[in-house]
Amino acid sequence: MAKALSASKKVMKTYLSELLTDDLCNQANENHESPSKTTSISENKRLEVLLKNVNAELKIAPAEVGMQNSAPQIIKQKAKQGTQNSHLIEVSSEARLSSNEDTLTTQKSTDILATKIIKIIKRKTEKTYRQGDFQVLFFNVGGLTVAVPLIELGGIHAVDKITPLMGKPEWFKGVMLHRENKINVVDTALWVMPEKCDTIMKESLNYQYIIMLSDSAWGLTAESLVDTVTLNQEQVKWLDSPSKRPWLAGLVKDKMCALLDVDSLIELLNEGSGIYQVDS
Amino acid sequence: MSDEKSSANDKTNAKDEILQWVTFKLESESYGINVMQVQEILRYNEVAPVPGAPSYVLGIINLRGNVVTVIDTRSRFNLSPCEITDDTRIIVIESEQQIVGILVDSASEVVYLKASEIEAAPNVGNEESAQFIQGVTNREGELLILVDLDKLLSDDEWDELKQF
Repeated sequence: MAKALSASKKVMKTYLSELLTDDLCNQANENHESPSKTTSISENKRLEVLLKNVNAELKIAPAEVGMQNSAPQIIKQKAKQGTQNSHLIEVSSEARLSSNEDTLTTQKSTDILATKIIKIIKRKTEKTYRQGDFQVLFFNVGGLTVAVPLIELGGIHAVDKITPLMGKPEWFKGVMLHRENKINVVDTALWVMPEKCDTIMKESLNYQYIIMLSDSAWGLTAESLVDTVTLNQEQVKWLDSPSKRPWLAGLVKDKMCALLDVDSLIELLNEGSGIYQVDS
Repeated sequence: MSDEKSSANDKTNAKDEILQWVTFKLESESYGINVMQVQEILRYNEVAPVPGAPSYVLGIINLRGNVVTVIDTRSRFNLSPCEITDDTRIIVIESEQQIVGILVDSASEVVYLKASEIEAAPNVGNEESAQFIQGVTNREGELLILVDLDKLLSDDEWDELKQF
């Protein structure tokens, strides 16, 4: 048992280093271009580049990202353009009509994508724990330590009978009844690191607790609870990139562990997305 | 005023209809099927295998001169096979205008459930078997999984069964 645990700790170290290296690589590239800039500036720049790529026509300045109505306004502008275009289409040939329709559809889809990205960035940066000190709970799963902000913790329950449901993904452990509530239990190890979960690891997992995500019906399994710690903003490397690992709010520097973005995780679980679908 | 209230209550009651479910066990889980679809429950007797039958067909039985196809429910629900015991039952059901038998570990009881007591199962997983679940409910501290028998087999599979 002890052997298996030490083996899984080794696996976890590699896993976390992979997580961090990936991110540090991006950072290194940016530092190479402008070494004097601070991290926050480089992150802003990255977001700007991302937004520019999404739609050059949008011309979104960083200040506009915070504006509540910016996205709908853009869509309205596009809709206006669409009406003008369709007026012209009436006198043009059929071939031109189809090509214009294609362009409009592409523009619409890029607009929707841009709005979605803006929403994700806004949601990530507007979290209450993104200002000042905040408390997190650390828990262990298969040698991996995971942190969840206390403000987004819905509760902790002891593991009881979990009823599996047929046809569900492997990471969906089943439904656990708790008083009148039905908790959708997620096998955390299988969701977070399916590639590391071999038979030996699966057998060594001994789930004791269910960590409830906010006020949702989703709960993450945990082997043990570590402690609660007050962190400041400097102790976390925040990850605001919306496209990759939306469930990861950041990395706690001194514990080298993942800090969960609970809302995004709930969203992914509601969609039935495993970690592979997220990466793809 | 009171008339309005009572009519509103009537409407709520009408919507919250009571349904009867036959419950059975597979492995350690409880499942329920609509009583209206159940014709009878039989003790297990020899199921004659059919050469070349699909994997979900266990075989056929002779029910008072009629041939009834028996579906291997465990394999359909992605559960490991188990031995036949004294509790094993074949529940004869009518679904998609066909009469088939489903093999279960044991048949338990008939329960009454209000429509409001039934909750949708979490909408995750796109495996075919995920569609069998009509809903879930908390029955005396135990989760009861309600099965939609019509979805137990796909249209093609129901058509295939007609040939037996």
